[in-house]
Amino acid sequence: MKMKWPDAISIKQIALALISGLLALVSLVGGFAIYQTRAVTHSLEQHSQNAAQSELAAAVQGLLSRTEEQSVKLAGWDETRQQLVLPEYYTYWRDQRLYESGMLNSSHLRAALYAPSGMLLEPSPAEISMPARLPAGTPPHQSASWLIDEAGTVALYYAFPVYSDEQRQTLLGHGLIRLDFMPALLRQNALHFTDTASVSLALKPGEILATSDLFPRLRFNTRPDPDQLRFQTILSRTLLALFVLLAAMALLGFVAYNRLLVRPLGRLSQFIDAMQHGRFSPNPSRSQSMRISELENIRRSLFDYQLQLRELHGSMEHQNREFHTQARQDTLTGCHNRRAYEEDWERFRQELKTAPQGVAFLLFDCDRFKTINDTYGHAKGDRVLSIIADALVMALRANDRLYRIGGDEFATFLSRTTPAQAKQVAQRCQSLIEAAGFADLGIIEPVGLSIGIAFCAADQLEQVNELPKQADIAMYTAKQPGRTRIALYGEDTERASQTLVASRETSALFQALASPGMIEMHYQAVHALPGRQVDYYEALARIRYHGKLIMPDAFLPVVSSRRLETEFDLAVLNQVDADLSSDQLPTGCGLSINLSAQSISRPEVVSQLLELSRHNARHPLMLEITETSLITQMVEVRTYLDLLRTVNYRIAMDDFGTGYSPLRYLVDLPVDVVKFDISLVNKLGEDNRAGQVVADFARMMSEVGYSLVAEGVETEAVLLKVESLGIAHAQGYLLGRPIPLTELAASFTAEGAAATCNA
Amino acid sequence: MRLYLFCLLISVFPAAAHAAVAQQEMRPGISASADYLIGEPGKPAVLLLHSFLQTRDFRTVATLARGLQEAGYTVLAPTLSLNIPNRAQSLACEAVHRHSLDDDVAEIGRWVSWLKSHGHRSIVLVGHSFGSLQLLAYLSLKPDAAVKAYVGASLIEAKIGTAARAALIAQLEDRVVRKQRALVKQTLSFCRKYPSTPEGLLSYVRWDQARLLAALKQSPVSVKLIMGDRDDVIEHGWFKALALVEVPLVIVKGANHFMDGAHEFDLLEHTLQSLVTIQQAPSR
Repeated sequence: MKMKWPDAISIKQIALALISGLLALVSLVGGFAIYQTRAVTHSLEQHSQNAAQSELAAAVQGLLSRTEEQSVKLAGWDETRQQLVLPEYYTYWRDQRLYESGMLNSSHLRAALYAPSGMLLEPSPAEISMPARLPAGTPPHQSASWLIDEAGTVALYYAFPVYSDEQRQTLLGHGLIRLDFMPALLRQNALHFTDTASVSLALKPGEILATSDLFPRLRFNTRPDPDQLRFQTILSRTLLALFVLLAAMALLGFVAYNRLLVRPLGRLSQFIDAMQHGRFSPNPSRSQSMRISELENIRRSLFDYQLQLRELHGSMEHQNREFHTQARQDTLTGCHNRRAYEEDWERFRQELKTAPQGVAFLLFDCDRFKTINDTYGHAKGDRVLSIIADALVMALRANDRLYRIGGDEFATFLSRTTPAQAKQVAQRCQSLIEAAGFADLGIIEPVGLSIGIAFCAADQLEQVNELPKQADIAMYTAKQPGRTRIALYGEDTERASQTLVASRETSALFQALASPGMIEMHYQAVHALPGRQVDYYEALARIRYHGKLIMPDAFLPVVSSRRLETEFDLAVLNQVDADLSSDQLPTGCGLSINLSAQSISRPEVVSQLLELSRHNARHPLMLEITETSLITQMVEVRTYLDLLRTVNYRIAMDDFGTGYSPLRYLVDLPVDVVKFDISLVNKLGEDNRAGQVVADFARMMSEVGYSLVAEGVETEAVLLKVESLGIAHAQGYLLGRPIPLTELAASFTAEGAAATCNA
Repeated sequence: MRLYLFCLLISVFPAAAHAAVAQQEMRPGISASADYLIGEPGKPAVLLLHSFLQTRDFRTVATLARGLQEAGYTVLAPTLSLNIPNRAQSLACEAVHRHSLDDDVAEIGRWVSWLKSHGHRSIVLVGHSFGSLQLLAYLSLKPDAAVKAYVGASLIEAKIGTAARAALIAQLEDRVVRKQRALVKQTLSFCRKYPSTPEGLLSYVRWDQARLLAALKQSPVSVKLIMGDRDDVIEHGWFKALALVEVPLVIVKGANHFMDGAHEFDLLEHTLQSLVTIQQAPSR
């Protein structure tokens, strides 16, 4: 049985897990590196941001400082003071002199002078919009600076006082410097980290912003650092290359792992599975070799093992076929045995469910086979069976199978057939049996075959299970005297009534065996001669079924055909034990009990007889062995009979003179009494040579010590003859019919004290 | 001699500490200042005037002022306002020139008066270059009686370049008459472009060599000129002209117009000699 490992994982899964883990680790490391790179980049960006902020602040401060310096220079310039005092040529000074002198070194710079009252000395040109007066609140003695958005241009104004003297005692007026803030700020070439294009000032049109509040309103971006970008690019490419390299290595490793380990192991696993399921590689030595030496060794070992297994498997298959065949073949006849019959019949019934068809069941039974066996011996009996089997096989259709299901009983079932075809087959069987060479075996009696046929049409397959039973009934019908020995179940009314009887007897028998009390013993007196007084009684079995008695000639064939001798004898012994225990028989009345030859060799029967022997003290017991021709284990039977004799049983051989009781058994078995068959007794009544032979034989047996009993004495003449021959006992309708125990007990009661048996 | 002056300069250094800045409002809103270096009592005070558009801090003037003070002379070295309040820087040629020689002369007069108000009854006017011209212009008017002598170093006329002086004067006079106030750009002295009001320019342009010679000739006080023979600023023939009017003239050999370098001491030496001479001469 294949062991299940629900939690087991494959080596491929392990490889995938390893590769996945490696890739995950690489991804993790890559992610960490990217995180670190981003952190460094962020730090550098922050540094750049700080640097940009610092340099921008420095640039702003520098611009303001330079503007302040410029204002100081301008305030201290003689010509500035001159203009505030004598402003007649102010415009010349403002527009030319300031620039020619170098006081204002850029055209972006503008300057204007204001009177102490804050009013502009002279209006500025239209393109240079200097305020007409200084903003309110401008401190008169201090510098002030502010920014204002003028039509999209941010202007920086720097106002400063101009004094007449160095001691700053006489205020002459104010100077105002205007410059375009952004160009001036960005012209300083001091911005290395700041993206100059991004620098802007968030200022609403017309809004005045003090320079002290300037920096928070500045907007700027950092200039991309080429080194940083190069660093990031190199690092990113390196990480990508590393990741791709590791991924490629992982993939290659997986492929190599797959090729070197997983596939070979998978192949080995498949080999092992195939071996487990009996599928062998046609030529394992040609299989692809493995690159891993250990696996190659395992492969070679497995292949060697597989070769050995193949040989073993082949041998076992051969043996199995042999066993299978033997298990389903009858060794004597070569046809299929009962086991094969049961399997094939079951399979055939299953097939009928999917393929309805007409089915015929044929049951064959050899007539008088027992007689043949007893007369000519078992060897010839076996030979007869073989010839019958061969003939039947020849008579059957090519695909039909013949089964030996009992001693001389054969069966077959015909598929896709009709009753007429089945009858034809049966007739062909009988023809071939009749033509068989039994005479070559020295058998002069005709060997016949009774055939029972049961048929089930395709539309009545629900009754197919009844076919064996119906064929059995038909066969017993065929055995009826005067029949053609081929009977089809249910073909006519006569056959139907027989069927009813046969069915009733069979049911009665099985019910009687299952229910104690249904077997009823009748007792027939055996008279001692020549006084003709009752010596003992022979117990004869009857079956009471639905208030009616069924006689032995009706149920004994069923017992025989069903091989129920032992069970039936045990039931009889139980009933006899019950009758004896009822004390209805007077003490001293002996009792004779019939047993079949098969039962006497059964331990349970012997055990029951030993139990019954306790009655021997009050009722001497005798065992009548019938059908002794069926005794095959002579030694065991003799041993049992010797044992029974030690507990005071007497042994009688029944039906002597018929084929059932050969003379030979008189020598081998411990027989005390010999009961002459009715046919021999009737010979005594004839005054001819046969009567003389029987009379002489009886006299001779009496002389050697056998006690003789004449059965079936029905006439006075026969009784007289029996008496004249010195036969000790006689039995028959002339002397008394079998009667039930109650009736016998009643007769004893009626006779009173005189009612007794001879001791 | 030079070594002697140097040693004197070192030894009397503490005297330099006796200095003050004098300030006067020359015109409404126009104040001017002067270094007042106090010397020894009894010695004449020197009014030392700088050259054209310069200040008293001009090296030649400043060195000479310290030397004179160190020699015991009180020195008043004003900076002409040139109509600039508290002018402290030399005025560029290209600046708007709102001053005139009359203004300069008036300021000189104010400083002479200032000296007198500070007890100086003997005043010697010492000028350098154009300052010599301005002092001479002062003398040509009615100078204060306290002014005893005049020493002109590197005296130079009001040069006007290549332009015809007479025509220029006529043009300027016409502008003045017409009250045309537009600035006139004219070469004047060392300025190639000298923006000025017509009347201001006219006041300077009139002082050519002839007028200088006349002023020297007609000076009410003793006159002495100190000139460098390497002065390439003065017009060729200026020495010859001066000789014609027999002006006392000391020619310092090797000195240029600015008497700089070692010639600063020559200038001081000759100036001191003049002052000594003036002290010994009877007053006017």
